[in-house]
Amino acid sequence: MSAACKLPEQRRTTRDLFLEEGIDVAPEATTRLGVDQVPVCSGHKGSELAVAAAFEALGLAGVSGADVDVVVDYTIWPQKWMVPVWNMSGEVQKEIGAEKAFTVGFSGGGSTNFLVALNFAAAMLEADEKMKYALLVAGDVTIPGNRVLNPASPVSVMGDGGSAVLLQRGASGGMVLGTELLSDGANHDVYYIPGGCLANPEDPALYRMMLDKPRYEPTPKTATMLRLAENLLGRAGLRLEDVKYVVYPNISSEDQSTFREAFGLRAEQICTSNLATHGHLQGNDLVLNYLSLTGDGAVSEGDYILICSHGMGFMAGVSLVRV
Amino acid sequence: MFAKIGILEAAYYLPPKRKPLTEIFRDEKTPEVALAANVDFQRDIGIEGVHVAGEETASSVALKACRRVVEKAGIDPREIDVIVGFTSIPEDYIAPTWSAAGYIQKQLGATRAFATAINTGGCASYQQTLKSVCSLMSTNDNMNLALLFAGDKVPALNHNYYPITVVCDGGGAVLLKKDHDRRVILSVDVITAGKLHDVWWVPGFPNRDPNHPEDHTWMHVAGDIGRFNTEVIPTNLFMFRKVIRGALQRAGKKSSDVKYYVYPTFSSWDQKAFCRAFTIPPEKVFMDGLQRHGHLQETDMVIDYVDALDEGHIHEGDLVMLVTNGAGFSWGAALVQH
Repeated sequence: MSAACKLPEQRRTTRDLFLEEGIDVAPEATTRLGVDQVPVCSGHKGSELAVAAAFEALGLAGVSGADVDVVVDYTIWPQKWMVPVWNMSGEVQKEIGAEKAFTVGFSGGGSTNFLVALNFAAAMLEADEKMKYALLVAGDVTIPGNRVLNPASPVSVMGDGGSAVLLQRGASGGMVLGTELLSDGANHDVYYIPGGCLANPEDPALYRMMLDKPRYEPTPKTATMLRLAENLLGRAGLRLEDVKYVVYPNISSEDQSTFREAFGLRAEQICTSNLATHGHLQGNDLVLNYLSLTGDGAVSEGDYILICSHGMGFMAGVSLVRV
Repeated sequence: MFAKIGILEAAYYLPPKRKPLTEIFRDEKTPEVALAANVDFQRDIGIEGVHVAGEETASSVALKACRRVVEKAGIDPREIDVIVGFTSIPEDYIAPTWSAAGYIQKQLGATRAFATAINTGGCASYQQTLKSVCSLMSTNDNMNLALLFAGDKVPALNHNYYPITVVCDGGGAVLLKKDHDRRVILSVDVITAGKLHDVWWVPGFPNRDPNHPEDHTWMHVAGDIGRFNTEVIPTNLFMFRKVIRGALQRAGKKSSDVKYYVYPTFSSWDQKAFCRAFTIPPEKVFMDGLQRHGHLQETDMVIDYVDALDEGHIHEGDLVMLVTNGAGFSWGAALVQH
């Protein structure tokens, strides 16, 4: 039905963040990343970003919060209080007045967590005739001093942001046709926060997102996404050539190029313009890039869009949408 | 409407080490804020002792439950299509960034699954997970076998959840199978009252006292007991009625059709209040778990269901309701046709 992103107004340049986090500003790294600046919050404003995005998505669709049946959270960074005892979705429910709703949130999968949420929300709407609207929300705020992923050999630069997507049962356009997901649990600890919980409760140095690059790099990310895409398209009686556009996260320029090459995409088929100006915002990337693609008027009714992602966990996912 | 999805098998694991309640109350402070119920928390709670994980991790406790359910069902883990964690307290690593689902997938060798976790609902996360997973299985031809699991290990010195209960460590696991004729999940209803989101929470690492790194109270549950007494308790039975009715209506059943209830093991006064409010004879509710192990968060729904089955309280043809509430605050009810 609608989607919205809410980003903090304040920006920090990659150069400043590298210096702040004690990382050498090597041209090779900045070129490979392709991120010039990222939006940043002062303080933990995850819930506020999510609520603002939720209001905007509801307003665009002309739907009241009171009509929402389920609020689904796909945030990946730690929230204001500790998940899973607390979850931001309850606060969003309260603020938008979704009194009849229930909330559900998902953990893990990095940016693919958006596709997990999309998959479950679409299934709930399809399976339950009493449900009409699902509101998907996220509010991701990076741990201070932890914006450059893997400082020894940077993989991404991470910003803050919130987003919301409103799904309607029986909608005529923007149909979610299906989702394919696959995880490799052997890599559950390749990209995670080792401290701040039961395993390492005392060391502040471990309360940061860490990446085990030697294990991360050989993971068959694009090959897995390609296989999932072919499965999904095959089920819909389609081929990759039938897909007009692809939505993909803003991890780095290098990552986007590898993906484009593997999928055989032309430059105009994938939105890469947000990478330089926003960096990586976890699952919010997918909403941001979807809005950029659909907002510039290039997308027509009936076009097929693939939303692809690989994330921590390791989880790969592909969703197919018909505009 | 769900497809025909049944509980293929369910199992739990309790760590062998036990701690009597007298020692819990000796080691952990009980707040002096008055209870809404006219009871003595320590004397009347009805729990003798709890199991403690000790050196075992939350993930390993969950894994033991998962291995048991896989063995009981006699399945090959490679048949599992989706693994969903529903642990409702902090795990080994921080959520929502990480969940134990990937670890479970790796250890079981469930290579074709995708692994995720539901991180809402508190002790009602089981019903939220049932609703989510049954929806997914109902609408996807390639989703036929699901593993649901939880593994609870409370941080040291946080077993006393005054004014609600005393909590136990342990894990539970359930296998759901499509087109399974027995223990069929007829319906699930869940509600969340987001206006109560800030009554029960855990502060988290950024809110610790940096001068006292040995103090792990930032991992302990914190409650606004005043609001719990004035806002949660007065609405609790109303919300229970709502989800119970919702689940019955969705399944086209009446409350008189329900032969047995699985209800959380919070406290003796809470169990009595539930039976009184809904005029349910106590023998129709599994209550023995309270004395044996106290409260296991969301895992109450698994452990009490398994024990009720094994001890002959549930018979072929019985309609069973699994009903609970949880942080968030949330309420959930599921109807299972035996």
